Amino acid sequence: MARPMTQTRIACLTPVLGGWLGLAAMPAVGELQSLDDSMMSSISGQAGVTLELDLQTTVDRLSYFDDGNGIHLENVRIGSATDPNGGAFHKIDLDIEADGSLNLGYLVEDRRIEFEDVTLPGAPGVGMGGLFFDHNLQGTFRLSPGSTLSPDGYTFDSAYTMTGGRIGYRTNGNEVFLDDITMDVQAMGVTMDVVGDQLLFTTPELIGSYEVGAIRYSDNPLNHGSSTDASTGLELPSYGGFKGDFNLSGETYIGGGGRVGQEGIRIDSNTQINSANFIYLDDGNTLGLRDITGHYNLTDLRIDVDKDWNGREALALSVGGLSGAFNIGRIELGNQNKSLGRLNVSFLFQDQVIRGQSYTNALYLMGGGHADAGPQGLRLGAQWSLQLADFSYTEDNNRVIFSGLQSWGQGDVTVNVTRDEVQNGTRFFDGLRVGFEGIKGGYRINGLRVGDENAPLQGGTELLLALGFYPAYDFELDGHLTLGAGGASGEGLTINSDVQIRNGSAALIANPYDEGAGEIAQTGLWVSDLNYDMHIRDMTVDVTDEGLAIIKGEAWSTMDVGNLRVGDKSSGASFGRFVVQKYEKGSSMTILPGGAGDVCAGGMGSDAASCEASGGVWETRGEEGVTVRMKHVLARAVSDTRKNAFTWESNRQLDGSGNPINDSGMKLVLNDIYTSDGGDFDGDGVEDNTYGIQSDIAVDVYQTRVVKKEDGADSRGVVGNRGDERIMDAGAPEGYRYVANPTAADMQNRPLGFAVQAEARFKELSINNIDLVHPIGGAQTAVYGVKMQNFDIKANLTATPIQ
Amino acid sequence: MTGRTLKYARSIPLALGLALAPQFGSAELAKLDDGALSDVSGQGGIYLSGDVSINELGGPIRNGYFGGCEEVGKKCGARVAYRLKEDGGWFVLDDIRGSFAFEGLTLKVREINDGFAGDGQLFNREVVELGLPNVVRYNDVQFKLAGSSTARPTDPGFQQTDIFSIEMQGDVTLEGNLLVFPTGNP
Repeated sequence: MARPMTQTRIACLTPVLGGWLGLAAMPAVGELQSLDDSMMSSISGQAGVTLELDLQTTVDRLSYFDDGNGIHLENVRIGSATDPNGGAFHKIDLDIEADGSLNLGYLVEDRRIEFEDVTLPGAPGVGMGGLFFDHNLQGTFRLSPGSTLSPDGYTFDSAYTMTGGRIGYRTNGNEVFLDDITMDVQAMGVTMDVVGDQLLFTTPELIGSYEVGAIRYSDNPLNHGSSTDASTGLELPSYGGFKGDFNLSGETYIGGGGRVGQEGIRIDSNTQINSANFIYLDDGNTLGLRDITGHYNLTDLRIDVDKDWNGREALALSVGGLSGAFNIGRIELGNQNKSLGRLNVSFLFQDQVIRGQSYTNALYLMGGGHADAGPQGLRLGAQWSLQLADFSYTEDNNRVIFSGLQSWGQGDVTVNVTRDEVQNGTRFFDGLRVGFEGIKGGYRINGLRVGDENAPLQGGTELLLALGFYPAYDFELDGHLTLGAGGASGEGLTINSDVQIRNGSAALIANPYDEGAGEIAQTGLWVSDLNYDMHIRDMTVDVTDEGLAIIKGEAWSTMDVGNLRVGDKSSGASFGRFVVQKYEKGSSMTILPGGAGDVCAGGMGSDAASCEASGGVWETRGEEGVTVRMKHVLARAVSDTRKNAFTWESNRQLDGSGNPINDSGMKLVLNDIYTSDGGDFDGDGVEDNTYGIQSDIAVDVYQTRVVKKEDGADSRGVVGNRGDERIMDAGAPEGYRYVANPTAADMQNRPLGFAVQAEARFKELSINNIDLVHPIGGAQTAVYGVKMQNFDIKANLTATPIQ
Repeated sequence: MTGRTLKYARSIPLALGLALAPQFGSAELAKLDDGALSDVSGQGGIYLSGDVSINELGGPIRNGYFGGCEEVGKKCGARVAYRLKEDGGWFVLDDIRGSFAFEGLTLKVREINDGFAGDGQLFNREVVELGLPNVVRYNDVQFKLAGSSTARPTDPGFQQTDIFSIEMQGDVTLEGNLLVFPTGNP
């Protein structure tokens, strides 16, 4: 049906309102909900004006100016999503009620809003890339005079359903987009008032749900916002989809005036997350963050067109403060309704000074991305300052808090959608490429608290090393992480990455940086003067029926620790230089919800009676927790950089500044370490190497037995005898006491720690040669081969943080 | 410490200082009691307890040489072979099995700047401290020392001579702290 064209000025009402509502709906999550018919009928006009139009609008450039500095949206278009030359159908029913309320009912079909690029005058020839937004919308909007604060304000009631949505980002002909978006949103009783020189929007309740069918990637420039490839007709690869629901409330202040100059925008807001759920879907398998609650407060967000610390023109977003907390009630993995546990995070982003340098929170958006990836891309000059955060993990009601996380840094992050090719000598891969350029930053954790936030600060952050997370880290970071679409099969992720860390210091063991009397130098055991190169090829990540499966295609790294220091990370005494090289092919890791379950610690038996009869202790560690299954396949050396080796160098010569010179001392080298299945069983002429080193590790937060090791008073003055058990007691002055013969009730109050059930096994692990290397005399082989076979090591360990 | 070494020991059932340079050879270290720990800063750390078993039921290889522990005539323990000459024979630790349990192994980094009959003040630096468990219980820990013609027992021409076997059972007392710190030229 040919639809009449109408004045663009009127037709644009709907996108403006739709866009505003869309922005309001963005935090939404959850299961889809239908609009309430009675509610809709109450705000629908019974008489008035009906407008219908096919809208096709193009604008060469749309600019925003701030203190004379402009940012430009290039080639803006509003029209059909499916026909580049067609219009989008709009139907608007408009009427005014007796109380003066303006009622709109609207229907939008097949609409695309897009711009091809975002440019800044100070950066000619490059842009940030383009965005497109496809959708069908149906909804209502009522604008009433008067608000809860003032008769001069306004009240909005809005409800809409979006179907067939797509939101995409496109650079240099490649694009990543959210496909098949469905969203329902209701925002009733939203008020707008003028308070001082700011607009105040108050939202009593914003509820809704959404579902994204797939997140797709295209490397074909002929494709634009289509689920299938224009050349092959095949469905484009997918990262998976997600869905969720939300119930929010809050208020937002919007005023004029930027961080610099006279113009700009200021936003302050606080938001309450009354409830929310988020579910990631990979071929029907789910990773669910359920029962989310929390709040956050954004203070003094300023938006300017400004220059960053390097004098580069950018769209600047700078924040005075961001604080909040959120709780995830259940973290579910797989389809078996099992939970890892509960996560709680509190945070405060605010300006701070670290070692004499000031850090703030700001993001400078610039065009270009990676210099070799083409003219389009996003470059983010970023500075962050996390002054304080605590994150806690609770499973089966046992809680451990990693307390006093601080982080700081600055540098450039680039974002490009790239394809598999080499451009100007730089290797790119299919996917969304996140690049790191000159990032210099760090973080540190103060300690652990067990039970609740008021518990005494304890050590034990080194337990995070088991997750590959250092308790403290200073780094200079370059490299990239490219997220490709499609996993080992079907949906999922494929990751390629090259990352370099320079001049780093990471703690293996870390003492607190603040014991309660202000900041002190953090001491510990440090890998200092660290240069770390890491490379990953074709690593797939999939959510499966039972958990999260990660399969490494090929991975190699060189961790060159200039000095392993004890004490201060810069000046502590050094054990020398250590170089750890890794080269793995076909390694994998699976993360499963649920810990060890029922365990016979220190004995054997499948039930309590048989376990205790064997001398063991029967422990019921609950339903939650985490189990990690790993397989490390150590490949034989193929080059000096792709091999497994360990080098210790000491007695190095010193340069003029007193710093040791690498490769000038004596070295002990364990060269070419590799796994094997023990023979060529498939007859291909090469020894099989598929079994690797297999490890199953189940971790629970659980009560642990801690005994006193000496007679007398301990460091906090609590008296006990050697062999007495520590029992937590809120009524005791120090929160615990020592008990010679704990009762069953006492045993329920043992200190919390980490209970680990582990098994590691391998068929064959070999070291080709062990050499002693003199800087002048060269290498002398001390051991001509080591071969370890048929190992199966099981362990039940408990690790308890102590003061 | 570079020239300054803890010299005086007091009632040390087992006190070890592991230094990665030879000058520590003359040092003797005294254990700190819990009360003395209050004099030092940075007292965080972890307390480890548990039991570890090796090849309790056998290893992952099943062939003519290795098998389950219930299989007569096969070895179910682990095996380590190494050689010191390029074309020489292999030293072998074979059929390694057993389990051990411990309670109260602690790990921390701490500063020593006091105690040790005044030497602590002179020492004045951080160490990695391994607080040894009082008792380590061994249960059926065993292995054989052997000489072999090949690295694998399944290699052609394999011949092995078992020299002697060791079996450990019972408790080993390990008291005190193992202090690890660098010295010498890194």
